[in-house]
Amino acid sequence: MSLEDYRTLFMVGGLVLILVAAFPGLSVVVPFPRGGERFSELWILGPERMAEGYPFNVRAEEMQGPVYVGVRNHMGGSQSYLIYAKFRDRTQPLPNATASEPSSLPPLYEFRFFLADGQTWEAPVRFTIEDLGFKGNGSFVAGISINDQVFPVNCSSSWDSENKGFHYELFFELWLYQEGSQSFGFHDRFVGIWLNMTKS
Amino acid sequence: MSGLRSVAALFVLFALVSSVSALGAMASAVESEAVSAVEGAEAAVAEAFGAVVEAERAGGNVSELLDRLDLAAEYLATANMCLRTGEFDGAVRNASLCVGALEGLAEDAAALRDTAAGESGQRLWITTSGSIVGVVMVVCGGFVGWRWSKKRYYRQALKMKPEVADE
Repeated sequence: MSLEDYRTLFMVGGLVLILVAAFPGLSVVVPFPRGGERFSELWILGPERMAEGYPFNVRAEEMQGPVYVGVRNHMGGSQSYLIYAKFRDRTQPLPNATASEPSSLPPLYEFRFFLADGQTWEAPVRFTIEDLGFKGNGSFVAGISINDQVFPVNCSSSWDSENKGFHYELFFELWLYQEGSQSFGFHDRFVGIWLNMTKS
Repeated sequence: MSGLRSVAALFVLFALVSSVSALGAMASAVESEAVSAVEGAEAAVAEAFGAVVEAERAGGNVSELLDRLDLAAEYLATANMCLRTGEFDGAVRNASLCVGALEGLAEDAAALRDTAAGESGQRLWITTSGSIVGVVMVVCGGFVGWRWSKKRYYRQALKMKPEVADE
């Protein structure tokens, strides 16, 4: 090796070592971008905490569940969450996650909680259809109890000959506290379970 | 006699109407009291959360504060649901429990923020000065190392004996 080669080797090695030594200091001063997408997970699980065995055929005044609603925070910091439980028939609106619009139906039950980044929250939901009626080819639900709180609802469904049933949906919308507006906004996520009302 | 009766009937009717409207006014007063109690609790939770976020951004461990916020949020959710179902007493009670659960939380969050900010300043100083010392050591070490290597290279070059290569 010539002296020139030695010099180049020394300069490259020295530069690498300088960068290594300077990195801790630089990381404090220069804001390096944090990798990863920021989002929240929302899920609903059946009684065995699996994505199966969800209640489907429901009778009046028969307690269902528990199903488990869960959230995991991947937002990079502590967040304040709100979950609204809503109940609808097939004609009533669902949220529009792509347009960031929640369902216009009034909320029934609600959960509020705080999660640090990477933390998970899960809660059981038991529900009972309190006021169920059938008339001719139709059915109506006028009351639902969620975790022992009774709420009036106004839903009706005609017989669905294709899927064979009187179908309703219990769904959960995820809302997030936004520091900018200092209020909760729909967080573009919802999950739900379909229920088929039966006479006996 | 019949005149007296109609006056009495009018009086009873008037009393009935007055008491119904008084009851209505009372009910609406109870409702507005519940609404303002819940709004107050909501604002208190938002303020406390803001303080906790500041403490977290300063580098503090806020898990204990989040647990306390969770309890307050649970009361607030119950208060909101009571409001929705017309249980105004329950709404006021839970809103008050919510505010009670937040007592001292903003102060604790501010204290944690200050402590964390102090520690983070100290960490920053140690890291920066450590980096500077490291860079200086690498530069000086490199310079000394280069001079030593250069001397060694010349020494070895001088020890070499020229040879005549065969043609």
